[in-house]
Amino acid sequence: MTMNSSPDPALMPGAFAPIAREQSVHRLSRPSLSYWQDAWFRLKANRRAILSLWIIIAMLLFTVLGPLFWRVDPAAQDLQQISSPPGANRSVVIVEPYRPWAEAPAAPSEPGLDVAAPPTTQQVRLVWTPMPGAADYRVYRNIVPVKQGGALGVPLGTSGSADVTHYEDRMDLKPGVAFYSVLALDANGAALPAVFTRRIEVANAITLAEAKARAMVKADDGLGVGDQIQYRLHPLGTDYLGRDMLARLMQGARVSLFIGIVAPTIFVLFGVLYGSMAGFLGGRIDQVMMRFADFVIALPFLLFMILFKIAFGIGPGESGILPMIVAMVILLWPATARLVRGQILQVREEAYVNAARLLGARTNYLVLRHMIPNTFGVILVTLTFAIPSAIFTEAFLSFIGMGVAPPTASWGSMSNDGIKSMLISPHELFLPALMISITVLAFNLLGDGLRDALDAKMRSRE
Amino acid sequence: MRTPGQQLLLLGLGSVLAIALIMALLSWASGGSGAGAGVDPETGTITLVLDTEPPQMNSSLSADAISGRVLGHIMEGLTRQDANNELVPGVAERWEVTESGATFWLRNDAKWSDGKPVTAHDFVFAWRNTVDPNSASEYANIMFGIRNAEAISAGKLPLTALGVTAVNDRELRIEFANPVPYFARMTSFSTFYPIREDFYRSTQGRYASSADTLLYNGPFVMERWVHGAHIRLVKNPRYWNRDEIKLNVIDFPYFTTDGNTIINLFRDGKIAMADIGQQNIQEAQLQGWTINSFSEGALFYVEFNHRPGHVTRNRNFRKAIQYALDSSEEVNRVIKIPGYAPGRSLFPEWLDGVDDSFRKEYPVREVSPDWDKAREHLELARKELGLERFPPIMLLTGDSPVANKVSEYYQETLKQALGLEVRIDVQIFKQRLAKMLAGDFDLVMAGWSADYADPLAYGELFHSANAQNRGRYRNPEMDRQIAIARTSTDPRTRMDAFGRIQDIVVDDAVILPEYERGRLYVVDPALSGLVRRVVGFDPDFTYARIVDKVSQ
Repeated sequence: MTMNSSPDPALMPGAFAPIAREQSVHRLSRPSLSYWQDAWFRLKANRRAILSLWIIIAMLLFTVLGPLFWRVDPAAQDLQQISSPPGANRSVVIVEPYRPWAEAPAAPSEPGLDVAAPPTTQQVRLVWTPMPGAADYRVYRNIVPVKQGGALGVPLGTSGSADVTHYEDRMDLKPGVAFYSVLALDANGAALPAVFTRRIEVANAITLAEAKARAMVKADDGLGVGDQIQYRLHPLGTDYLGRDMLARLMQGARVSLFIGIVAPTIFVLFGVLYGSMAGFLGGRIDQVMMRFADFVIALPFLLFMILFKIAFGIGPGESGILPMIVAMVILLWPATARLVRGQILQVREEAYVNAARLLGARTNYLVLRHMIPNTFGVILVTLTFAIPSAIFTEAFLSFIGMGVAPPTASWGSMSNDGIKSMLISPHELFLPALMISITVLAFNLLGDGLRDALDAKMRSRE
Repeated sequence: MRTPGQQLLLLGLGSVLAIALIMALLSWASGGSGAGAGVDPETGTITLVLDTEPPQMNSSLSADAISGRVLGHIMEGLTRQDANNELVPGVAERWEVTESGATFWLRNDAKWSDGKPVTAHDFVFAWRNTVDPNSASEYANIMFGIRNAEAISAGKLPLTALGVTAVNDRELRIEFANPVPYFARMTSFSTFYPIREDFYRSTQGRYASSADTLLYNGPFVMERWVHGAHIRLVKNPRYWNRDEIKLNVIDFPYFTTDGNTIINLFRDGKIAMADIGQQNIQEAQLQGWTINSFSEGALFYVEFNHRPGHVTRNRNFRKAIQYALDSSEEVNRVIKIPGYAPGRSLFPEWLDGVDDSFRKEYPVREVSPDWDKAREHLELARKELGLERFPPIMLLTGDSPVANKVSEYYQETLKQALGLEVRIDVQIFKQRLAKMLAGDFDLVMAGWSADYADPLAYGELFHSANAQNRGRYRNPEMDRQIAIARTSTDPRTRMDAFGRIQDIVVDDAVILPEYERGRLYVVDPALSGLVRRVVGFDPDFTYARIVDKVSQ
């Protein structure tokens, strides 16, 4: 290195002058936020979690306020509208009350099959001309046109003898087109080649008495036989006994959400107390307490559910909600207790706890100020994950018939009923299953968001 | 380096290929295990579904329909039912039934599957086994028409006192306790099948537990029995009437009751016959299958508990429920299965009277539903019982989908019509029977199918001494009519008695008939000669044969 002999003119003493003192220091810190404000701030940034929160709020409103606006008895059966899907055609004609078909009708003037009265969903009365050599007739109904020599559809019954050439069909009549066939049988009941087939348009019909019973017709509105009226509206359709799906979903939500919120709240609370006690006291007490928790984990849930049902004196046909909650509370707390204990053990050894203790903090202060707040994230997350699992447990238990007693509905029991007719009326399974899925998903996503938001370590990374 | 997107794509493609490969391997493996086409004309094989593993294959103890169905193909009694359900000779070539007893003469060419002849002693051994109190057969009571059977079954007499003797190898003589005019028909029933004593002893208590601990004398023998998975019956080359048997193999490689599985198997041509449940009716119509219906002959009814301490003991209470419920609405709108017929009488439609069907000769008194009358009767019952409010009514029911639906329908209907609170007690079959026996119900949804084709099978149900009278109904007039029906040999006198029993059941509301169960089923067009029957094992493939599909 060589020294520059002549000094740089810029470094002459005259080049230096003190600058003016700044009035304020540039702030680098963020606004001071409490733990909760910060958590809420981060939760708000999580769009999925906020959407889930709104869905949960909407579910609660649906459950609590829904029945105030939609005043339909969830147990009332509308046998006229069994398994009707959402948006089914509701117009219906009032007809005479059903009377057994006593008099033998006159045969049709032309050879073939005819109807003896306008065909309605109350009854379809068929009459046909005698066929040669027939000893009996069998009547069929089909939903697709009958092809030449093809299958005739569903056998409804036989007329009983060669002299009886009429038949009354009342079996599960649906409005629309049906293809009826009459097949001649020989004396041994074997099919003869002679067949009459006819396309018949079945009108949707209700008797005046039934219309009055459903309050579709009032005494003073002057409606009578032959008038066109509208069925009661079922926005989400009806189930296999004609019960309103919307009302049942609301009732089911009450049961499902009640269990889903009450049981986890109690057992998480107990788990927190138990786990923090074990963790804080430590040593032999901790060992004994946690081995007891392990013992409880080993107990079979379903068996205890049945035991409690008997112990509570709950007979058949009564609701099993209470034993279900008790079984959940008694058997499901150890998971929370374990988590909280682990967390407390960890927090107990932190430097700030030791510092607080050296500064003379009492046990109460330590637990309330340092331990619990630092485990709060874990607790809240356990709770939000316990809720969907409780809803699922309820659904499962109602599904196997251990839960609510009919006619009370829960989402689980509705799914169980719906699955039997999944192929012909999918809405009966789809709607309650959708409700379970949405609710469980919403609670899970909210729990996910809460975990991120409440984790204090995440704070520094943003 | 690939981008993460490409990696994901490759991973996805790779797993799809792997799954496809595994599925192909699996289907190849299952193809090798023997489950072939539903009807195979080359080997004379038909493939079918069995509901479950047969619970009891010992014919002298068996009481269920599944075991009965298999037993019916591999065993033969003294008589059997032919393709038209007529009674034809089986092991016996002729017989004689009198008021005091019956004699059967056995054919010379009836052989066991090991080649030894079937003798009268084999029947004596099997029948004694049924009434033996140590074997505790559920069907012992079907033998009670035979002298001393009841006392032996109660442990009061030794087995040798049973009124059945083998006069020689070819002649079997039976003494009756009371006249049993339908006895010849009863001997086609599985409880009356023979069992050979030396073979039974050689199995050392494991008789009928596997394919080789059974000895066969029927049209088929069991070649393979993988418990819980597979039963295979093949034609018996030693069966006396082997020329009439056209099928070579009846294969049951599937044990399931799941309606959708069965329909899928049928659609894929894997099985020759399938039952159609309510959810598959639409599918069957769209597929263009020829649907058959068959009335099983079983009557289902609501039985009241007539024991003291139950409100259902009160006649007006029962009448109120009778007027409130509507079996026609129940069948047509709630159950919705064509083939089910609304129940009206204790006696199902298929029973024969003197010349025509019983129900045509003795029309039942119709009770049409009338809620006003129902409420009047309920008011009377309230006064008679001195009750302010009726307690909740316990409705005991089974766990089938139909039972669930119907019980909820009853619950709501009785609430609407009469303001009664009904609690539904759902129990599995065994538990329901136990509760019925213990009288732990107010209403129970019960069913009865006949073991023999005589109205007495239903008529004697509500005799005060009948163990099947679960509601403990007692009525001296009923008992008197049953006594007439049991002992009289004049058909007209018996049918008159049944007619009066039918009236008592309606007037006194002893039970409420719900429905007569029917079934819808589809059969592969290449299979013909399938027999369905109300009494005896069903369905019967003994006389079935495979026909050319083209000639149809």
